[in-house]
Order: sequence, then C-alpha cells, then structure tokens
Amino acid sequence: MTEHRQRARRRGQGELEALVLRALREADGPATAGWVQERLGGGLAYTTVITILTRLLAKGAVTRERAGRSFAWTPDSDQAGLAAHRMRRVLDAESDREAVLASFVTGLGPDDERLLRELLDQSRGED
Amino acid sequence: MGFFVFLPLVLPLTAWPIARLAEQHLHPRTATRLLTGVATVMAACSTLCLALVMVVGTAQLPGNPLPDGWSDPEVRAAVPYDEIVGKAAIPALGAVLAACARALWRHGRVRRRAHRALAGLPATGVAVLPEAAPYAYALPGRQRDRVVVTTGLLEHLEPAERRALFAHERAHLAAGHHRFLLAVQLAARANPFLRPLRTAVVYTAERWADEEAAQRVGSRRTVASAIGKAALVSRGTPAATLAGFAAPGPVPRRVAALLGPAPAVRCWPSLFTSVGLAAWCAAAGTAASAMSSANSAVTMVLILYAATPL
Repeated sequence: MTEHRQRARRRGQGELEALVLRALREADGPATAGWVQERLGGGLAYTTVITILTRLLAKGAVTRERAGRSFAWTPDSDQAGLAAHRMRRVLDAESDREAVLASFVTGLGPDDERLLRELLDQSRGED
Repeated sequence: MGFFVFLPLVLPLTAWPIARLAEQHLHPRTATRLLTGVATVMAACSTLCLALVMVVGTAQLPGNPLPDGWSDPEVRAAVPYDEIVGKAAIPALGAVLAACARALWRHGRVRRRAHRALAGLPATGVAVLPEAAPYAYALPGRQRDRVVVTTGLLEHLEPAERRALFAHERAHLAAGHHRFLLAVQLAARANPFLRPLRTAVVYTAERWADEEAAQRVGSRRTVASAIGKAALVSRGTPAATLAGFAAPGPVPRRVAALLGPAPAVRCWPSLFTSVGLAAWCAAAGTAASAMSSANSAVTMVLILYAATPL
C-alpha cells in the first residue's frame, strides 16, 4: 500500500518536472521561481516549485544565477535530456539489467577486444 | 512411484549437449525455440516433482494441516518416504518459488521504470536519448514497443550500420524475444541444472536478431561491423566473465558468425550427427521428465485419494 502510494508520488514528480521545465522554456531568458509558479497556475505551492527546480538543478536540467535576493533559472536541457538522465538512473540501479533488457551489445572479455579488432580488420580487408 | 519422482530433478543434464552444440549447428531461431521449450518443460516438471516430495515431507511435520490419512503407514510405504529428502524439499520448493517471484517482479519493475523514464518524450517507436554513454536496447511495452538508443552510440555508426542496429532491435521486439528470455530466466531459477540453457538462449536470441537484421539490410558484413563498433565504443561496461577465462565472449562470436555464411534453416537435424544426437537426447530427456512427473503425480493423487477419508 505504502509502496503504491510512493509510486504514485514519484510519477507525479516526473510529471511536475516536465511541467516546470516546459514553463521555463517558454520564458524569454532566465525566470524566477515566482514567475514559474504564476505561469503554471493553480495548485502548486511556491516551495514545491523551488523543490522541483532544485531537483532539476541536481540533474543538470537547469542552471541558476543570483538575481537580487532570489535566483533566476534557465533551462539547460530538454525533455530528451531529462529522459536520458532518468534512464541512466534506471540502468545504474539494475545490477544485472542484461537479465531483463536485451541490449545490443554486452561487455567485452579480456581477449575479446583484440579478437574483435582482428575480425573487423579482416572483413575490411576483403572489401 | 519410487525413485521416478526424483528423475525430473536431474534430467535437465540431458539437455547440456544440445545447449552446447545448438549455437554452432542450428539456425538461431530453431535453437532459441528448441532450448526454451526444453527448459520450460523441464523446469515445470522439476518443480512439480519438488512439490510432490514436499507433500511427503510436510506429512511428517507435527501439526501439519493435511488429513491424518496422508501420514498413514500405508501411504508412507507407497510414496518414497525419506525423512531427510522430504524435509529438504520444503525449503527447496520455497526457495524456487521465491526466486521465480523475485525474477518476475524485477522484470516488471525494470520495464515499468524504463517506460516511466521515457514519459515526457513524443510517442514514437524509437527514443533517441542525448547521452554520451553508448547503449541501445529494445524495450517491450504493453501499448508501444520502443527502441532506445543514445546519441553516443549513433554518432559512431555509419548510416547503414544504424539501419542494422534498428533492424536488430526491431527483430527482438517483433519476435517477442523478451518472452523467451524471461522463460529461461525462470527455468534457470527453478532448477540450477538449466543454467547452461539460459546462457545458450541469451546468445541464440541475439544471433536470431542479428540474422533478421542481416536479411533486412541485405548485408551480413554491415551488421557485423555495427556490432563490432558498438562493442568497441562501449567497452567501458565490464563484461560478466571471469578474468583469464579463455573462451571468446558473445560479441566476437556473433561477429564471426555474421562474417561466415548464413546458417541453413533445418527443421530437425539428422540423428546421425553430433547435434542430431544431442537434440534427440534432450528430447528424450524432456519426454522422460514429463512422463515420470506425470506418473508420480497420478500415483500420488491416487494414493492420497484412497487414504483420505471422505
């Protein structure tokens, strides 16, 4: 039950990150958290916006610079960049992801690299 | 039922020769289907056999919820009453079920998380991620199958090699290779003797996709060089092999196979070759496994039915 609730919350976070990022990209130049909150309209607390922006900063999706007493935020990566970051985390978390995702190539053993280069050279030589 | 009940536990050994020879001598599609089928049947029989032995084991436990008749001397005379084996079967069956449940759960979790990671992207069949780390894989989904590939990998490949990469991943998705892989994962957890079959199927499924890709792009050499280049740029990923283990890993074997001639499509190899002999051996082992577990199950049901006062 708690796990289910957590999962719902996590999905919510992913969507919120995407929303905030989209809003930032619609801004002309750096925008403040207050501007983002206004832009997104209903429901989101200022602190929530700050939390999401900080999380995006940790992921390298946004940058910030000091503007007076607050920060001005600039988007640094798009949806694809964010997806790449999230995917990276999924893959890093799975120690034997080979067991689930059939990846294009697996790692190379100690002698494999030399053997592989020989094979490829040979095939190129036949052209 | 006697010692027959234990047969399915060791009969997977009859499939070891074919697991070893299929890679070289059978078309990868035939090999994948044959080995997965053999592994699935043998795993099911071996689990059933564990369950039957467990009934005998639980009947010995004081306070068990089974009818009293089940621990009658007559029943004990008829079923292989072995205190140690019977009791050992209880944790063994528990471990098998737990390992399979865990494998299933992880499989679902990785797929769910991977789909969620791609949530913000346009709903296309291919997701290209701007990322320096080179990787690519096929992500089967309920609504949409996706091929995930990073720019770090694509930039190292020629256009023809990119087509080969996509054809390879689409072949995985079109043929539902994840189902074969999941089946052999579960089988290997149900009976450790089936592990060589899992290793073999993981390889033959890749080879199957390689051959499909070669047919699609019309050049075996293009697929070979795509695999070779991809492996060389992503060599940072550690290989799950023992250091000093002399046999070449899966990637060079796949490349070598693609640089050789296309495998012949045969339905069933002749008996008078080593691979034919191995295939028939595995088939006989599977049949024996199925028959002895069916025989044991029927005997057990009949005995217990007779012993249960209704």
